[in-house]
Amino acid sequence: MPDCSVNYESEIEDGQNKRAIKCKFCSSVILTPSSACFQNFEFDLPLITQTKNNDANPETEHTSLFWVVKDMFTFYNVGFSNAVGNTKFLTCADCEAGPIGYHDIPTKISYVALTRVSHGST
Amino acid sequence: MAKTYDYLFKLLLIGDSGVGKTCVLFRFSEDAFNTTFISTIGIDFKIRTIDLEGKKIKLQIWDTAGQERFRTITTAYYRGAMGIMLVYDITNEKSFENIKNWIRNIEENASADVEKMLLGNKCELEEKRQVSKERGEYLAIEYGIKFIETSAKASIRVEEAFFTLAKDIKAKMEKKLEASNPPKGGHQIRATDPQKKPTSWLSRCTLL
Ligand SMILES: Nc1nc2c(ncn2[C@@H]2O[C@H](COP(=O)(O)OP(=O)(O)O)[C@@H](O)[C@H]2O)c(=O)[nH]1
Ligand SMILES: [Mg+2]
Ligand SMILES: [Zn+2]
Repeated sequence: MPDCSVNYESEIEDGQNKRAIKCKFCSSVILTPSSACFQNFEFDLPLITQTKNNDANPETEHTSLFWVVKDMFTFYNVGFSNAVGNTKFLTCADCEAGPIGYHDIPTKISYVALTRVSHGST
Repeated sequence: MAKTYDYLFKLLLIGDSGVGKTCVLFRFSEDAFNTTFISTIGIDFKIRTIDLEGKKIKLQIWDTAGQERFRTITTAYYRGAMGIMLVYDITNEKSFENIKNWIRNIEENASADVEKMLLGNKCELEEKRQVSKERGEYLAIEYGIKFIETSAKASIRVEEAFFTLAKDIKAKMEKKLEASNPPKGGHQIRATDPQKKPTSWLSRCTLL
């Protein structure tokens, strides 16, 4: 479980992200401090790097720690992929690394996986 | 407390295939991610935040997902657009000539007051240049729009271009607001839906 390696509790303050949420690869700011809420649930998120070329059936991993964003315009910088069913995947706006999370089209709620981003100052 | 934005501008990138529209959307880097998963699905749009004259501006920028190749850019794509970047490649004469066709397409499909700007991209390829800077400037004057030469590859003036377009949309919008709504004693008028200020983080985090 890759989630366990993250010391995520110290990143939460009053249920929100204490520090800025940035791209792990290029440090582009995705969310400013205190703009997302923490939530714990299970989702199978496709891997950033796929080893096999299987578009219809991407390799995924269990992901359970998320930053929840209710209004997409709360994002500082982010990319939205085209829709796959009811889902759009989120990417870094600058280097396009992703998915860093997903957007649920019916509810318009976005979820950023803690393990796919870094936390730091803006 | 998260600060909400002051304005939301919807922008489109238009131009022939291969001129660099997708590249100006992100900070060009040789090792840009090309993971099979995201690149197969494709990027629909990006959200970027800029600070302009003390205002937080959200830009929602659409890139045509290659529809330009088939000239199938229709009214649906233009809906709600407030700004359009018309992009050509300075090393490709044809892409410059086609700008006129794109402008016609915009006139037929987009709202009449959409703010336009002309970008001559790949300007670092001086030795391969086919379209002089003067011709770009002249075309822009003909259409009464702004012009800038950029290089997505060498990161030349790309941000400046987006700032300029955003600034012009903001000015236009503020002028409109003022005309329809003369300012009364220090009341702030917002162009986009003002978000209700929550009283505590709990009220915003009902999902918890
Ligand atoms: N030399 C140079 N190449 C560029 C520049 N911008 C984009 N390209 C290249 O032009 C090609 C087409 O770019 P792309 O963004 O996919 O064009 P689009 O079809 O308009 O979206 C790619 O090979 C890019 O690497 C630039 O400023 N300079
Ligand atoms: Mg493209
Ligand atoms: Zn990045």
